[in-house]
Amino acid sequence: MSIIKTCNVKYSYEENKTVLKNVSAEFETGKIYAIVGPSGCGKTTLLSLLGGLDSPSGGQILFKGEDIEKNGLARHRQNNVSFIFQNYNLIDYMTPIENVTLTSKLQPLPILERLGLTKEEAKRNVLKLSGGQQQRVAIARALASDAGVILADEPTGNLDEDTAIEIAAILKECAHQMNKCVIIVTHSNDLANQADVILKLRKGELQAANTRDTSIN
Amino acid sequence: MSFIKRAVLYCLRQRFKTIILFLVLTIIAAFILTGIAVRDAAKGATADVRTAVGGKIILDIDMEGHMGGSEQYEWGTAYTYNGDQITQEIVEAIKKVEGVADYNVEEAESYFGAGVNFKYLPAAFDLSYTPYGESSSYTVTLSTEKCRAFQSGKYKLIAGRHITADDKYTCLISKELAEYNKLSVEDKIKMYSLDSDSIAEFKIVGIFDGAEGISGEAYTISDIPANMGYIDYAGWQDIFKDMGDTDFYQQLTIFVEDPLGIQNVYNKISALPEIKGKTLKLSIDTDEYDIVSAPLDSLEKLVNTTIIIISAVSVVILTLLLTIQIRGRKKEIGILLSIGKSKANIILQLFAETFAVTVISFAASIPLSNLTAERAGAFLASRVTTGTANINVRIDAAYLLPLYIIGILLITTAVIASSWTVVRSKPKDILAKMS
Repeated sequence: MSIIKTCNVKYSYEENKTVLKNVSAEFETGKIYAIVGPSGCGKTTLLSLLGGLDSPSGGQILFKGEDIEKNGLARHRQNNVSFIFQNYNLIDYMTPIENVTLTSKLQPLPILERLGLTKEEAKRNVLKLSGGQQQRVAIARALASDAGVILADEPTGNLDEDTAIEIAAILKECAHQMNKCVIIVTHSNDLANQADVILKLRKGELQAANTRDTSIN
Repeated sequence: MSFIKRAVLYCLRQRFKTIILFLVLTIIAAFILTGIAVRDAAKGATADVRTAVGGKIILDIDMEGHMGGSEQYEWGTAYTYNGDQITQEIVEAIKKVEGVADYNVEEAESYFGAGVNFKYLPAAFDLSYTPYGESSSYTVTLSTEKCRAFQSGKYKLIAGRHITADDKYTCLISKELAEYNKLSVEDKIKMYSLDSDSIAEFKIVGIFDGAEGISGEAYTISDIPANMGYIDYAGWQDIFKDMGDTDFYQQLTIFVEDPLGIQNVYNKISALPEIKGKTLKLSIDTDEYDIVSAPLDSLEKLVNTTIIIISAVSVVILTLLLTIQIRGRKKEIGILLSIGKSKANIILQLFAETFAVTVISFAASIPLSNLTAERAGAFLASRVTTGTANINVRIDAAYLLPLYIIGILLITTAVIASSWTVVRSKPKDILAKMS
């Protein structure tokens, strides 16, 4: 059963500039989805709509069968989804522990340690960490929120190859072992190939979905 | 994490920005505190003036149509008043009227004395019509402290004490006359009165300043204000006791407790049976109070306007500063919105940060305000001719309450105005601009 789905979602701005046209897709827990496509095809817009950062011009987005606008987008962002961004988007005057605490009352240190940060690193200012470590903090923040859906926008875009592989592995772990629904927007074929389902967007339309049976892996 | 904890972390970690905000708020608070202090000082001075000067009711004998028989002298004709007098009975009745604070007798030019053992400041012409030279006039009074010139601040006692109702054969002379004759308090002067043809000795109990010294344009000795002084009523009565009944006054100054209620007191005195139907005139005199309190009223209005202007300018400065700071925090706001923090929660964080700094900076502004209040008070006081009123500007702990009320209004306005453009943006737009 899908945790989040889009029903004929349209998005346009300045009246006639259409970004998304009747996009319908379903996303389930325990799977990684990769949304791929050329620049400007509407990938990030679709991710923003799923995350309640904006409202669609037409259609609906349902979380567990309920329109996300019903209880307010802020509440949807707070309870149902969490974001991982290409540029990490951590609050720069806080430590990793404090950044993780922003979304959760859970003990942040075990989560950070599980993602490879030492106790000492977890207490430093986030700007004193490497890009890979910052992205791990962002993932920790997403995990700590206990949201069912993790939305990642180019999560490995700023990382070197080795770190990107590590982050991809963590995201796979989030989906397959923590039963999260992970939706990734990416230009990276390597990352997209790690996904269970690949959705291709072209000129605002969903063109194809390649599915793999993740249970075998 | 609550907005309060986020606010505390921001203030502690972004020290440079916090210090700038702290300094700006401290300066704003110092200005507002100074304004409040000066305004209260002006209010206090007005109240002091009201108490000191008060409103006055003047009871006069009505000479018009009541001048009786005439007597011919070598220097002209003298007429005698044959109407009612202000007797002790009338004075006692007036003292009992509710709202009457006090009374005084101040009869100018009622005694003319020529200097027997001292000299007056010289004038252009010396009209020596007594064996001791020319006479100068003296005001006969029960209390010099309550005389107009002292009440208005024109004259100031600089040595000794005032003449009181218990004194007999005492006098107050000007600083200039004292210096001219090398006289000081406790010295005795002798004066010859042509009217009584007698010499009387008066003890100098006080010396006053403000008579504007020696006037080069004065034709006679009695034209020079510094030659004029004050003597007590009892002494005057004693000098003239053989020349008729002196146990009455020609004019009585009645002081009321509150000048605003003067009309009511006036009506009560008018209705007294001791006065009704007699050839006496009753009139209200608030000129002294109006003259002395007018500059203070103007100062109070000026300071109120200044406080409003300071507050308005402060809002603008604070809004600009916070706008600059908040624009630099777009990313943070975008992140907070993306993790589901509401706009209200974010504004509350911004408010809490500013409020925390405000609380500390307003308290820290007190020593600075003491300095500015002292200087501003001195500057403003020098622009106001207050007479008897002293403008005492000081910062009171009680001013913190209105300061914090004004401060909270200021920062609320500034925080909402400065964060509005950022917070009303869609989170997607903020995050898109960030990337």
